[in-house]
Amino acid sequence: MYVILTLIAGACQAAMASLNGMISDYLGMFGMSLVVHAIGGLLLILYMKIFTHEKLKITGMPWYLYSAGFFGILLVVVSSYCIGIIGASYMTCLSVTGQMLTSAVIDHFGWFGIPRVPFNKKRIPCFLLILAGLIVINLS
Amino acid sequence: MAFVLTLAFVNGFATVISKMINYRCTKVLGKNNGSLVNYVVASVLSLFLLLISSHFQIDLYAFTAAPWWLYLGGVFGIVAFLISMTTLSHLKVMESTILLLVGQLTASVLFDTFAFHNISPGKILGILLVAAGIVWDNMLTR
Repeated sequence: MYVILTLIAGACQAAMASLNGMISDYLGMFGMSLVVHAIGGLLLILYMKIFTHEKLKITGMPWYLYSAGFFGILLVVVSSYCIGIIGASYMTCLSVTGQMLTSAVIDHFGWFGIPRVPFNKKRIPCFLLILAGLIVINLS
Repeated sequence: MAFVLTLAFVNGFATVISKMINYRCTKVLGKNNGSLVNYVVASVLSLFLLLISSHFQIDLYAFTAAPWWLYLGGVFGIVAFLISMTTLSHLKVMESTILLLVGQLTASVLFDTFAFHNISPGKILGILLVAAGIVWDNMLTR
C-alpha cells in the first residue's frame, strides 16, 4: 500500500512539473510560479486546519531560512522552462543526476555542517551507467 | 541545447540546497508549517516579480484563457508532498527515494508521449539505463 502511494506521489511530481510547463505558455514564468505556490499554500493551510488542527506559524526562524521561497520559485521556473524544451523525462534524469553529484560532493567535503562521508569508489560504475544513459537519450 | 542541459543539471544542484533549507525550516517550525514557509514566501515574491516584469499591468485575461485543468499543477504538488511525508515513516529512505523516482519517470514518459510528443525507443532505453544506475547507486550507499 505504502509502495503504491509513494509511486503515485512520484507520478504527481511529474504531473505538476508537466502542467507547470504548459501553464507558463499562458501566464509566463512568474504568473505560473504565483499560481502554483498560492494554490499549494492554500491547500496546505486547509489540510492543517481540517486534518491536523495546527496553528499556522511561519515566523521566528533565522532570516536566511526564508530563502526557501526563493529556491521554490527558482526550481519551478527552471524546471518548467527546461521541460518545455527537452521534455519531462530527460529533465527528470538530468535533475536527479545533478542531485546525486551535489549530494556526493557535499557529503565528501562535509559542507553546511553535515558529517563528512568520503566518496565511495564503488559508486563510480553507477555514475558511468547513468552517463551512458544520458548519452543515449541525447543521441536519440 | 547545451544551455538547457546545463540548466537542467543546475536544477538538481538547487534541489539539494533547497531540500537542506526546507529540512532546517521543518526542524524549527514542524513539518507542515516549515513547508508552508516555502509556499508563502514564494507566492509573495512571485507576485512581486510578476508585477515588476509586467510593469504593473498584469494580463488578467491570460489567467482565464488557460484551461482550468492546467491549474491542477499546484494541487498535484501538495498531494505529492503530503503522501511522501506520510509514507516516508513506513518505508526506508532508499525505498522511498527509488519509488518516487520510478513513479516520476514513468509518469514523465507518459507525459512526453501524450502531451509533448517527444519520445522514442532510444530515449526510453536511455531512461532505463539512467534509472538502473540511480537504483544501483541507492542500493550501494544507503
